[in-house]
Amino acid sequence: MVGFNDAVMKEVQGLFKRYPKKQHALLPILHLVMRENQGCVPEGWEDYVAELCETSLNHIRGVITFYDMIRKEPTGKFHIRVCTCVPCGMCGGDQIKNHIIKKLAIHPGHTTPDGLFSLEEVQCLAACDKAPLIQVNGNNPEKVTEESIDIWIQEMRQKG
Amino acid sequence: MLQETPILTKNIRSPGYDGSLEAYQKAGGHKALEKALKSMTPETVIEAVKESGLRGRGGAGFPTGMKWGFMPKNTGRPSYLVCNADEAEPGTFKDHFLINRDPHLFLEGLIIGSYAIGCHHAYVYIRGRSQAPAARLQTAIDNLYKAKLLGKAILGTGFDLDITIHRGAGAYICGEETALLESLEGKRGQPRVKPPFPATHGFNACPTSVNNVESLANVPIILNMGPDAFKKLGSTNNSGTRLVGISGHIKNPGIYEVEMGANLKSIIYDLGGGMRDGKQIKVVIPGGTSSNPLKPEEIDIAYDFDAVAKAGSMLGTCSLIVLDEDTDIVDLAYRTIVFFNHESCGQCTPCREGTFWLKNLVRDFHDNLGDQGKIDRIRRVAATMFGTSLCALGDAAAGPMKAFVEKYPEEFRKHFI
Ligand SMILES: Cc1cc2nc3c(=O)[nH]c(=O)nc-3n(C[C@H](O)[C@H](O)[C@H](O)COP(=O)(O)O)c2cc1C
Ligand code: SF4
Ligand code: FES
Repeated sequence: MVGFNDAVMKEVQGLFKRYPKKQHALLPILHLVMRENQGCVPEGWEDYVAELCETSLNHIRGVITFYDMIRKEPTGKFHIRVCTCVPCGMCGGDQIKNHIIKKLAIHPGHTTPDGLFSLEEVQCLAACDKAPLIQVNGNNPEKVTEESIDIWIQEMRQKG
Repeated sequence: MLQETPILTKNIRSPGYDGSLEAYQKAGGHKALEKALKSMTPETVIEAVKESGLRGRGGAGFPTGMKWGFMPKNTGRPSYLVCNADEAEPGTFKDHFLINRDPHLFLEGLIIGSYAIGCHHAYVYIRGRSQAPAARLQTAIDNLYKAKLLGKAILGTGFDLDITIHRGAGAYICGEETALLESLEGKRGQPRVKPPFPATHGFNACPTSVNNVESLANVPIILNMGPDAFKKLGSTNNSGTRLVGISGHIKNPGIYEVEMGANLKSIIYDLGGGMRDGKQIKVVIPGGTSSNPLKPEEIDIAYDFDAVAKAGSMLGTCSLIVLDEDTDIVDLAYRTIVFFNHESCGQCTPCREGTFWLKNLVRDFHDNLGDQGKIDRIRRVAATMFGTSLCALGDAAAGPMKAFVEKYPEEFRKHFI
């Protein structure tokens, strides 16, 4: 169903109070849409958000396509971001990426058929001293090795 | 042997410090805020920051006190202070270090800065993917409200202030201050044409100052030790300390605080511990990927704005990416240009097309399809990009590519067809 429930609507009203205009709250509201919809902005929500923020549908579409984080497809239960930017890339980021690709049999931009994992290749995550690293969902990025990834994937599969 | 100078990191470096409000106050926090609000006028605060010689830590090194001094007074419109916590320059992680480990230090600076420029609603713009740091910051802000250090009549004075965290959504360009303001207004993060500058037409077309996290963290320190003592730290025109982030093939990657003007080579060897496995350095990126590479024979210099500029690069965000002898310079150049091409906002033809062409040209070397003609073309495309686009991203993409082919031609030759 398109539209926020009452509890989230309260958060939205709180957000509107913190900006001079409703449109200013667009990014925080899109983050709420994604939080409530498995990490994406599904069909139909663009119109709803446009009305909520008193702006045009075209404006919303322009914004949504500009920002990398705003997705049209849901993420898996565990959304893995693998950094291959400069410091991580020079410290084995590609090997980590390729290892995850092989292990999960999906490429960046895709989700495993069981809906458990999705993979995204990203630019610097501001934690380069931990290179090479991955970030899972909204957690802090963590230094990884091929072995630590194997163990983690196994554990998550068991937990389901 | 170079040692750290823990000023900004004084709390963080003391054992058991957890960054909570209680811990911050126990360590003497909020003294500067009290001093500013109770015994200084906004003008004298700005004067002290000017006196200290503090230059912005976000990359450009513009004097913070001067920036605040430009804010027009009595315009009848609200003024805004916006803290730039986007931190997306590859290699840079110092602001997140402060946010995660001692959030109250820069928040104190943010409150003092707001008082100085007459702002009653400040924003912290933090990168979208940093959910955990943003949540931690929200807790810190909530605690400040509870302690009546935010909200109405702070410390019983007539000063009111709200702080709102605004999360970005994954776009490096939103670190550029006018793109950041667009993004804060719920728009695509595309830099504005300047002038008008944010000081007169910033957030919601009102007077606005955008300041980096580390810049603000210095403000309470300046008020506590006094501008003169602060000026004694560092080198001429480069007062204070810097949080240097070291990454790459270094033995001990991490954040180190040094006085500005410390010797670059000593930072790498004494603090970073030198290279892993006893290898030699091949290249040092001294200020994030926007800065030109330095060769090992060029790093025996003072690490401050002026000396690094004189060496043909820039201090930028003080992010040292140090890479060893096994590094493939073409691979490094390719990753760098992939980043800039991905992050170009697409408004200016030279930047949008130039980053795309440069990426394709460098990729040819990456695929061992290079030749002399392509080296010349990299230089020509880069030359066209300099100074022809709206914001600094265009130049930041072109500069390192030109420098890579000029400084390491033999590395590119290895990838000839
Ligand atoms: C492409 C680009 C990206 C930038 N990213 C950041 C950033 O992530 N954080 C930051 O503080 N400044 C960034 N800046 C610099 C800001 O435009 C601005 O100069 C700075 O936030 C001002 O703060 P300061 O005076 O305290 O340094 C960026 C500039 C450009 C051109
Ligand atoms: S230089 Fe590049 S990033 Fe900056 S405004 Fe122009 S197109 Fe956008
Ligand atoms: S390059 Fe991966 S976190 Fe910075």
